[in-house]
Parts: sequence; C-alpha cells; structure tokens
Amino acid sequence: MDPIPRQIASITRPVDSLMTYYVLKALATTLGFPVMIGLLYFRYHTMRYVFGEEGIRMSWGILFRHEILLNYARIQDIHLRSNAIERALGLARIEIQTASGGSSEMTLEGLTDPEAMRDFLYSRMRGASHTTPASTESAKLAAVLDEIAVELRAMRVAMEGRKDG
Amino acid sequence: MVDEWVARILRVPPEPDAPDGSPGSVQVFRAGKNYYRWRILMWALQHLMLLLLGVALILGFFNFVTRRVLGPMQDLSIMIEVVALALVLAGMPFTYYLQRLDYRFRWYMVTDRSLRIRNGIWSVEELTMTFANIQDIAVTAGPLQGFLGLADIEVRSAGGGTPGPDGTTSGKHSARFEGVDNAEALRDLIQDRLRHYRDAGLGDGDHHAPVAQEPAEAAQRVLAEARALRAALG
Repeated sequence: MDPIPRQIASITRPVDSLMTYYVLKALATTLGFPVMIGLLYFRYHTMRYVFGEEGIRMSWGILFRHEILLNYARIQDIHLRSNAIERALGLARIEIQTASGGSSEMTLEGLTDPEAMRDFLYSRMRGASHTTPASTESAKLAAVLDEIAVELRAMRVAMEGRKDG
Repeated sequence: MVDEWVARILRVPPEPDAPDGSPGSVQVFRAGKNYYRWRILMWALQHLMLLLLGVALILGFFNFVTRRVLGPMQDLSIMIEVVALALVLAGMPFTYYLQRLDYRFRWYMVTDRSLRIRNGIWSVEELTMTFANIQDIAVTAGPLQGFLGLADIEVRSAGGGTPGPDGTTSGKHSARFEGVDNAEALRDLIQDRLRHYRDAGLGDGDHHAPVAQEPAEAAQRVLAEARALRAALG
C-alpha cells in the first residue's frame, strides 16, 4: 500500500472558515444562538484529525469528549455534502459510513480540499483498487488456456522422462 | 443559459469526475426525460394539496377542531394561515424552477469497481460506493412512474436502516438511481459487476477478490510451454 500523501497526513485541524460557518449556523438558530455558539466554539477549537496508515482518528470536546477511530478498509460509502453557504466559504462535509449503524459514523469537516480527501479515502476503500475483474467469458477462456498449458507441460515432462530413461 | 447562471451563483460544482476504475469502463447515466415530467407532476400534486388544505383552513372547515385547541387564539390563526398560504404561492415559481435544475444537475456514474451519484442544488450531495461493499439491489416503480417508463434503482450496503413497506430504505447506506428509463439494463450492469465478488462484502480484506483472468496472459503461458516442448523435442 502506498504511503499516505503528505498533504493528507499533515491535516490535524479544520480550516479557519469552519468557525465562520459555525457562527452562521448558530445565528440561524436565532433564540438558540448563545447555546449553539458555545457548543460549536468548543467543537471547533478541540477538533483534531489524525490520518494514519490504517485509519482515521477524529476527536473533539473537553467536557464531553468524543473520539472516533475508523479503519479505511471498513468504509462502506463516502458522501460529499455541502449546502450553498458552505460552498460560498469553500467548505464541504465528508460523511463516512461503515457497516455499523444507521447514521454517519464520522463526518469530516473543515477540510482544505474535500475532493482530494474523497479521492484518497476512495483509494483506500475495499474494492477500489484491486485488479480489474474480467468478464466471465474471458475468465473461462483463460482457464481453458491454462489447462492446455498444463497438458503441454505434462507432455514435455513425460517426453523428457522417456528420453532420460 | 439561466440554469448555468443560477448554478454559478449557488456554486453548484460542475459534473463530477468519475471514480477510479479501469479505463474505458466509465458509464454515465442520466435520469430519463420523463423524470422531469414526473417531478413537475409531483410538484403540482403537492401544491394542489397544500392549496386545498390552506383554503379549507382559512374558510374554517376545521374550526370545530381548532377552536378546542386554540380557544381565543382562533382569530389570530386565520391571519397566520393567510400569510403561510401567500408564502407558498410566492415560492411556487422558484420551486417549479428547482425541479428543472434538479433534473439537469443529476449524474449516475458506474465504473467496473464503483459507482458515484451526484444530485442536489442548494444542498449538493455526492456518494461514492464500491461494488465490493454492496449487499442488494432494489428496483421500484410507482404506478405513475411505471406509466412514464421510469423506475428507481436502490443499491444498498450493509448496516442500513430497516426497509419500508415499498422495499426502499431512506438511510444513508444506499445509493439511489432515481427516475432512470433504462432500469433493466442498469440493473443487469450492476448485477454483472457484483458477480465478481464472492465474499460477504463486510470489510474482509481485498485478497478474497478474484484474480483477473486475462486470456492474453494465459495464451502467453501456453505459448511458452509449446516453445519449451519444441526445444525438448529438438
């Protein structure tokens, strides 16, 4: 497996514009603003990413700590989502699902290049990079050809045995 | 023209790149032409229901119910109902136009290893899934969709929500090819892709995947053996 690309491995924190988006998000709740801004402020400032060889570790929170560890090989599907406001700020969310439950297992926020991240995750996913599956017809043909090769070898071995003997 | 302009204002990304697969295996599907008609029909039905409900509320058809709940607030509720109805009416041109954009900005991509679905205007969503992880396929079509020659294909991976009565799930572990007019061809294509995976699709390592059987490589091995045989003869 190729090493993790530098620009991926070096990501540890979300980008600054995520905080801008959080402020807007909190404002949208009008009455809930004081509570929301507090929660999102701490979420933003405590959010950490580690993109390792095997998988991702994401953590946030101080009082209520969250830490999620997710193995690349267990990724089932990747959602890249964004609303118009996020796009105006150059943001997008990547929601990663494993086979465990209903909702997203991990949501990556505040990435500098979400599309590059999507491509990286896809390349580590199961079934993304193995050799091309051949059609059943050509697989059958290949199997027959291999049998012929085995027969030819047996012929040669038998003949060489007769010559030596 | 206008579509492109609106898409630029809302920063809707252009057609997505296809996920990595074997070169030449990428196939891009679009929603069927009738899908747009179907969306407009659905939109019209929804608005008709909303209008009927709004008018009924304003005329006081449900007063015998609302009076008990609202009491003296009854008169205020009519004002709110009028404003709400006016908002729905004012929004109609926009929501009508959105149906068209939604139809245009919708891509279904299939390679030999994976699929990618892009849709949405205000909220853009793009889903990537590999066939190695897919558990089952559901093809559904309502009576109206059937009449228009459309069907939805839903491809599901493990861990999704419980399927509803119509056999579709609204969870996140599924990819929906909505309103395709060549459902059978697409279903066969996906099934053909799935045939190459014999494992459970539950996170086992890739080594379970079948090794590519290239006829040309096998023929080369036959040739090498035939040459060796001739050398042994001579």
